[in-house]
Amino acid sequence: MSYIPIPEDRHFRIKRIGYDPGRSRPWLERLVYSLYVFAFWGFVIATYAGVPALFDALGWTAGWGYVVMRATQVVLLFLLSAVIALMLILALRKYLGKVQERYGPMHYGPAGGIQTVFDALKLLGKEDFVPAAADWLTFRLAPAVTFVSSFAIFAVVPFASGWTLADTNVGLIYLIAVSTLSTYGVLLGGVSSGNKWALVGALRAGAQMVSYEIPLALVFLSVAVWGGSLSLGRIVDSQMGLWNVVPLFIPFVLYVISSLAELKHIPFDFPEAESELIAGYNVEYSGMSFAFFFLAEFVELFLLPALIVVFFFGGWHGPLFGLEPGTLAAGALQSLYFTIKTAVWVWIFLWIRATLPRYRDDQLMEFAWKAMIPLALFGLVLAAYMRLIWR
Amino acid sequence: MSTISVDPVPGRSDEMVVNMGPQHPATHGVLRVVIGLEGERITRAVPHIGYLHRNHEKIEEARTYFQVVPYTDRMDYVSGTQNELPVVLAVEDLLGVEVPQRAKQIRTIFFELFRIASHLVWMGTAMLDLGAITPFLYTFWDREIILGIVERTAGARMLPNYYTFGGVRRDVHPEFFKDVADFLDHMQRRMPDYEHLVLENPIVHARTKGVGVLSKERAIARGVTGPVLRASGVAYDVRKAFPYDAYPDVEFEVPTSSDGDTYARFWVRFQEIYQACKIIRQLLEQTPKTGPYKGKVSPRLKISGERYRAVENSRGELGVYVVGDGSDRPYRIKHRGAAFTNLQVIPDLFIGAKFSDAIAILSSLDPVFGEIDR
Repeated sequence: MSYIPIPEDRHFRIKRIGYDPGRSRPWLERLVYSLYVFAFWGFVIATYAGVPALFDALGWTAGWGYVVMRATQVVLLFLLSAVIALMLILALRKYLGKVQERYGPMHYGPAGGIQTVFDALKLLGKEDFVPAAADWLTFRLAPAVTFVSSFAIFAVVPFASGWTLADTNVGLIYLIAVSTLSTYGVLLGGVSSGNKWALVGALRAGAQMVSYEIPLALVFLSVAVWGGSLSLGRIVDSQMGLWNVVPLFIPFVLYVISSLAELKHIPFDFPEAESELIAGYNVEYSGMSFAFFFLAEFVELFLLPALIVVFFFGGWHGPLFGLEPGTLAAGALQSLYFTIKTAVWVWIFLWIRATLPRYRDDQLMEFAWKAMIPLALFGLVLAAYMRLIWR
Repeated sequence: MSTISVDPVPGRSDEMVVNMGPQHPATHGVLRVVIGLEGERITRAVPHIGYLHRNHEKIEEARTYFQVVPYTDRMDYVSGTQNELPVVLAVEDLLGVEVPQRAKQIRTIFFELFRIASHLVWMGTAMLDLGAITPFLYTFWDREIILGIVERTAGARMLPNYYTFGGVRRDVHPEFFKDVADFLDHMQRRMPDYEHLVLENPIVHARTKGVGVLSKERAIARGVTGPVLRASGVAYDVRKAFPYDAYPDVEFEVPTSSDGDTYARFWVRFQEIYQACKIIRQLLEQTPKTGPYKGKVSPRLKISGERYRAVENSRGELGVYVVGDGSDRPYRIKHRGAAFTNLQVIPDLFIGAKFSDAIAILSSLDPVFGEIDR
């Protein structure tokens, strides 16, 4: 038991306490993320202004030419959704790092900027395994159902005045129909996995959907009553002077809560609750099937904040500095406003994710049935009366 | 393996039997609980342990007393030196060694530092189980400071092998008292943040209040100790009931709560961090900066007789029963683990609870499998 002195330089750990934000090069991070946002913006301009202009120039504006033009736009939007997923996964990881006093991805690309590209490549290279106990067809179909239903929301989102794939006059009903479908993907995927954890996760997703979809539909109804239309473009138009968040404050709050539940986002991430159900409905998925669940989740993480902006924060409205509405420059500026507003809401969602613990699943149901539905009905009646009085 | 049936009950198709663990993110290691689920409600819960069993007591019986001490470190690996103390105290009693007061004070400082470290680990993992990822990172940074102090003095971080018969193995490092005082100042700044993130969080309230209520009678009947017992309203603390080392010289309170629910167990652990800081502050003033750190003990010690000694570890009463037959090796060593005993309440608390509640309840029991499986 002789006394062996320990050399001083072994005690580096006590000096390492703390975190040096400068080490992650914040200026480089800002540059990389601005590039991502500009890439996104460029995609939007190319899809909604570039493609129609190109087809106009070619003269393919009727019949099959029109179909090809729309198909090109859809393909571009698919690429856009991949960009969104890569961007948001990176943003989430970097932001969690900031909140948790660590650096997040730092090594692949400038300031970790292409880390998620490598993650996607890794997922591509993995075996797409189907367990023996799984129902093959349903198991294969479920990620597609989830992704398509999330992706289909893109069709009605107005990025700028007139920049919509389908400015249909039943936009809100379409939204309810399509976004409900994503729960089918989760349910089918969980039930067909042949795994008990996945089954519990899937049933939780079903129970959760039953509780938040009703207030969500009532919120849509309030928005439609106040805006005077079911078309998303018209709803944005009607917010010219005053954003809906002021008159429709109650539906706005309910919508934020319901979209957290629809996203399966903390504090309502019961279907996948990794500390309870390990990964819930997607526990048996691997490779690209898993990637599609993931892609759907992050596309929704963009689309639901985008819908908050459309319904309550004036969509693409913003000062145009004398530009003529309807021109390319005005559209580009409007889509930039839309992007910035959406980014703020995505950041709020990430903030919630970094901060809060999880509720219990029956607490959401109780909250939805006892508090949210009565409040949503009250908000609807209020919106109707306000419409009668002021419009 | 087990006589308790975990098979599905014939004719009950509404119950699903689920294996929670041994590879489950919220079982704090390798606990396996076979759970009968009726929807989200738990109808049966049978804990299975032993996945980390390493024949601890038998190995220790084949070693000399000096070699036993480092083995005890491996039991409750998040509270380091706390495990060494029962064996050290028992052997000191049997030998009749005079321990210098300064050595006792240093031992107590380390004991309470590891209590804070262990409760910080508990706080982070409990919040991780409730779904919040961020507090985990915060508490582990703070624990890192404690481990840094321990490393500078003892040479190892988690398994320091620092206490020895008659005192401690080596003197504290030159800046020890300043380091500890700095750490206490740091904790004073951090604790309001933790209170805000954990105790005052409305979602934590919703998840833990009224969940997993352990009544006073049930707690006593199951032999539960530590924060779990004190949260059920029993003010039993080995540091007060059978004081050891420097505890008679310091003032502190034993926080208790009468609720017995998961939130009460959270609250008691928080108060214990405050009390530990208070104890360390008093000891920093009392302890001489230099002086003897070890009594005189023969390296060829031989022991006859038997002795039970217990200490209040971060999880409850950690005891050891040592039987010496006059040789340099113990004839028998029996550890009394606090986490092991506390785990017995799992069926009581789980049955009838929701599945999500079970996760919260388990994290409030704060099991450490190194000690449970031994």
